Amino acid sequence: MDRRREDRQGGGCEPKRSDAPALCFEQVTFGYTRVPVLREVSLQVRGGEFVALVGPNGAGKTTMMRLGLGLLHASHGTVRLFGERVEDFEDWWRVGYVPQRAGSGAVLPVSVEEVVRTGLTGHLGLFRRPRPHHRERMEHVLDLMGVAGLRRQPINELSGGQQQRALIARALVTDPSLLVLDEPTTGVDADARHVLREALEHLVDVERVSVIYISHDPEGFEGLADRVLEVRAGHVTDLTRPQREETSEERLWRR
Amino acid sequence: MEALSYEFMQRSIIATTLVCAVAPLVGAFVVQRRQALIGDGVGHVAFAGVGLAFVTGTNPFVGALLLTLLAAYALFRMERRGRLGGDLALAMIFYGGIALGYLFTQRAGGGLNSVVGFLFGSPNNLTWGQVWAIAALCLGVLVVIVALYGPLVSIAFDEPAARVSGVPTDGLQLILTVVVALIVVGGMYALGILLVAGMMVIPVAASSQLSRSYRGTMLGGSLVGVGCALTGAIGAFYADVPTGSAIVLLAVGCYLAAAVLRAARQRYAVGSSRRAATV
Ligand SMILES: Nc1ncnc2c1ncn2[C@@H]1O[C@H](COP(=O)(O)OP(=O)(O)OP(=O)(O)O)[C@@H](O)[C@H]1O
Ligand SMILES: [Mg+2]
Repeated sequence: MDRRREDRQGGGCEPKRSDAPALCFEQVTFGYTRVPVLREVSLQVRGGEFVALVGPNGAGKTTMMRLGLGLLHASHGTVRLFGERVEDFEDWWRVGYVPQRAGSGAVLPVSVEEVVRTGLTGHLGLFRRPRPHHRERMEHVLDLMGVAGLRRQPINELSGGQQQRALIARALVTDPSLLVLDEPTTGVDADARHVLREALEHLVDVERVSVIYISHDPEGFEGLADRVLEVRAGHVTDLTRPQREETSEERLWRR
Repeated sequence: MEALSYEFMQRSIIATTLVCAVAPLVGAFVVQRRQALIGDGVGHVAFAGVGLAFVTGTNPFVGALLLTLLAAYALFRMERRGRLGGDLALAMIFYGGIALGYLFTQRAGGGLNSVVGFLFGSPNNLTWGQVWAIAALCLGVLVVIVALYGPLVSIAFDEPAARVSGVPTDGLQLILTVVVALIVVGGMYALGILLVAGMMVIPVAASSQLSRSYRGTMLGGSLVGVGCALTGAIGAFYADVPTGSAIVLLAVGCYLAAAVLRAARQRYAVGSSRRAATV
């Protein structure tokens, strides 16, 4: 019997289960051109799980997350968020995303507080104003990321690490169950990395957030990550899973 | 004041002030989206609209509105396909617009005077009807910006993140481009197609030198716009210079002054911290 196949089906990718994985790829293929960047990638990130995504430049890590968040559309295969096909997904407040970039990208002065508030707009809809519990949540994430004291500072006058923390605070302001961080530690010094790490520990342990963490620097996720996945040549391999034990049949063949 | 006793001056001041108050509010979003020159581009297309109106004998206001809205939609489509930003297709629309505009106006036998009036504005020739139309456009733009302030900030600042957080980014992009078109057409008679885009961007650049928040930058830009419009329109009357030029040059002056002030402030801050360190 094919065990791998059973694994995949028993994993709960099917729609609308209460314990559906936060993010699920089923045989996803995608390319910007005819050459696929990802080939038949399958993947599951369960609730409360911390998954690190590694791989060389240009391997397709960012692409994979953009597919996962519905910013790109797979040419083959299915992507599901919380059991729902990403095309039909509507509860976007359950997802927090910090895109890959150097710094905040602000051209004009924008205060940290204003940046964090933009995280609420999708949740609030077009015309609603933030309510008291939204404000409380804002205070909480500003504290959590250690940027409460910087709230009136323009974000483009902060250090790279401070900017990054403000952007993570923005991603957290709707109290999401899945947080996607694309290289959050580029240009961030050791102290700021430490703050980030502590905040992530809190998120995983206390708030039970699933985290997908893309990074070239294992220091950022060592001891935190439940699994480390490597993207390379269009495929994803689990670096943490111990080599599969040989079946008795295989052992027989080897003799 | 003598200037205010003339009705043509009243019309000129009202129209330019309204446009210069609202244009920076729109400008703040396009500057943050790194599309500072989009107003200029839409202006080129408005010129084609004016030319078309000359040829067909319709109202230039209507012609410009029609073509700029069409251009706004085209730009939106191009942007969605990821083609905006220093792209050739954009240049095609813009330069095609100005070439077409000139061609149309020449075919229609439009005098050089009226062409120059549209390019650089002729606020002293406004009718009350035009002033009301301009006021209505400005009010409409203002209402859209106030109502959609939060969502517009979020797409200006970080579009992918906004999209992931559930903001309808496509619709907002289209609205923003349409609003740019409206303000260009609104400012066409008062400041001219070539100068109105400047008043979207320059006051914002000036206030951004001294502001520490986005809201502050926007409101500051609007204040700079109003200040330049009032002093520019009245000053131009006494100095006998073109109103549009006076307003835009004043805005450039504001920008330079703000940049100098900012540099001085930073030097002072560095100086005082150095003094503190040596104590
Ligand atoms: N917008 C795009 N258009 C065309 N090709 C793209 C685009 N974005 C990425 N690619 C290509 O897709 C591949 C994967 O890119 P991706 O950004 O996903 O890599 P990555 O693993 O995130 O790399 P890095 O570590 O540098 O961030 C690369 O070969 C890249 O050239
Ligand atoms: Mg990447």
